Amino acid sequence: MTTKKENAKRLGIYLLTVFAFMLIFVLCIKPMNASNTVFYIIYMIFSFSPAITSLITRAVTKEGFRDMKLHLRLSGNFKWYLLAFGLPLICFSAKFLLPVIISGHADWLGAFTAQNVLTSVFTLAAMSAVMSIGLIGEELGWRGYMNQKMEPLLGTVGTCIVGGIVWGLWHLPMDIAGCGGAMSDVFAMCGGRKIQLTLFGVFLMWLTKKTDSVFPAVIGHYMFNESQGALANLLYQGSIPENADLGVIADVFEYLPMILLAAVFMIMLFHDNSRTPKTA
Amino acid sequence: MTGLVYKEWKQNRWFILSMILCGSAPLIVLLIMHDEIKDIGDTPIRIGGLIAGFLAAGALQMLVLRGDDRKLWGYWITATPDGYKGFLRVKYEMIFGMIVLLMFSVQFVDMGYCAVAADMGKADAVQISGIALPLCFVQILLRAIDIPFVYRFGSKKGSFIKMICLVTVAIILLAFLILNAERFDMIIESCKKVINVQNSSLLLSVGLAVCLALYYLSYRITCKLYLKGVEQYDH
Repeated sequence: MTTKKENAKRLGIYLLTVFAFMLIFVLCIKPMNASNTVFYIIYMIFSFSPAITSLITRAVTKEGFRDMKLHLRLSGNFKWYLLAFGLPLICFSAKFLLPVIISGHADWLGAFTAQNVLTSVFTLAAMSAVMSIGLIGEELGWRGYMNQKMEPLLGTVGTCIVGGIVWGLWHLPMDIAGCGGAMSDVFAMCGGRKIQLTLFGVFLMWLTKKTDSVFPAVIGHYMFNESQGALANLLYQGSIPENADLGVIADVFEYLPMILLAAVFMIMLFHDNSRTPKTA
Repeated sequence: MTGLVYKEWKQNRWFILSMILCGSAPLIVLLIMHDEIKDIGDTPIRIGGLIAGFLAAGALQMLVLRGDDRKLWGYWITATPDGYKGFLRVKYEMIFGMIVLLMFSVQFVDMGYCAVAADMGKADAVQISGIALPLCFVQILLRAIDIPFVYRFGSKKGSFIKMICLVTVAIILLAFLILNAERFDMIIESCKKVINVQNSSLLLSVGLAVCLALYYLSYRITCKLYLKGVEQYDH
């Protein structure tokens, strides 16, 4: 039986190492801006740093490499794989399309024909099966290790909040590299994304616990990244005026679907926890 | 299930890891043929390397099926708690994983090459991993066809029977075209009507998803045929 102290030690080592990778990334931003090769190498190492860190931590603490949740566990869980694929798509559809429809501008959605939508859905389905594997570099660390160590210490809500914030913060160097501006600009541009990541982390945590595998979370994460692009692409093909502003309703729907998603899956996590028999 | 994964890893780890090498084939071919770059250009060489890599990877994926066409193994695995369905599932997952690993390494090497080329001032270096994606699905489709034949008839006989089936299908198609030679233009026209600029992207995306569905269907078919195959294995 792992004690809380051991868990705290392992979590501490994990977080320190993962933030050391962050620091290296931040310190290398200058050479990264100067060279594409350096940018590529550092970016790749950083992208895989949560998984690398989880392996390092397991080796350093002599914990071993069991329970890495690397089995696909497809049988009986296929519906959760489908949920991992479909729910981010539904959430982002609600985020992008509902404000436009509610504010009476449905005519802007001219590119959302059945053919275009089906093309996007089938493409995403096919791509998520073969192209999402790179995200195991993150999920093996966050959902496959950090959450497991955090939950006995902070509880389910604490893990969702703290784990989500850590996950969101970890993306900060990438955003700095992407924006190339001051920290305040980065927060202004990417602050919303950080909140969404924190909220979305609840769903990914639930998926991992439900299936005992990181792969549904990998698919969910891929869909989180790609469905926004696919929907935005269809939106831009429509006839949106250049100075279009939907006002408050767009701000509300920026977060509402993700808040609802996080609330529903937080309740389901509680529900599943209450059904799990407690061991001494 | 962990035991089966362990068995496959111990038995086939070099074939699995060789996918990384196959994914690096565009770069390897480029390094070998670097004298030809001025004449041909680097993109055609890399595309050639990519195709060679995919062909080599396809052959290596088939090699992981070797050695399973034995009666004793077939009976033994059927008697285990996971059963032959568990064994076949792990095989299918492993081959799918090999294809995904191949695709990942193609992308990894391709992006790396483009980054280095940009630093070297080669503005014309373009990513070729876009070509790899349809090839990846073709590979999934080919494995979906190959695997049931191997488990139903054994690896040697299976490849032979598959070849006969494919040749038969080709002959039937050819005969159909010859018999309808007068209506050939009409067939082409109706094909053009079905596949046009408007719906080509939809058909392509549906085709990609269908490849995945066929791969799953292939697993179900292999499960149905496996025990019949075991009865007919030579030893």
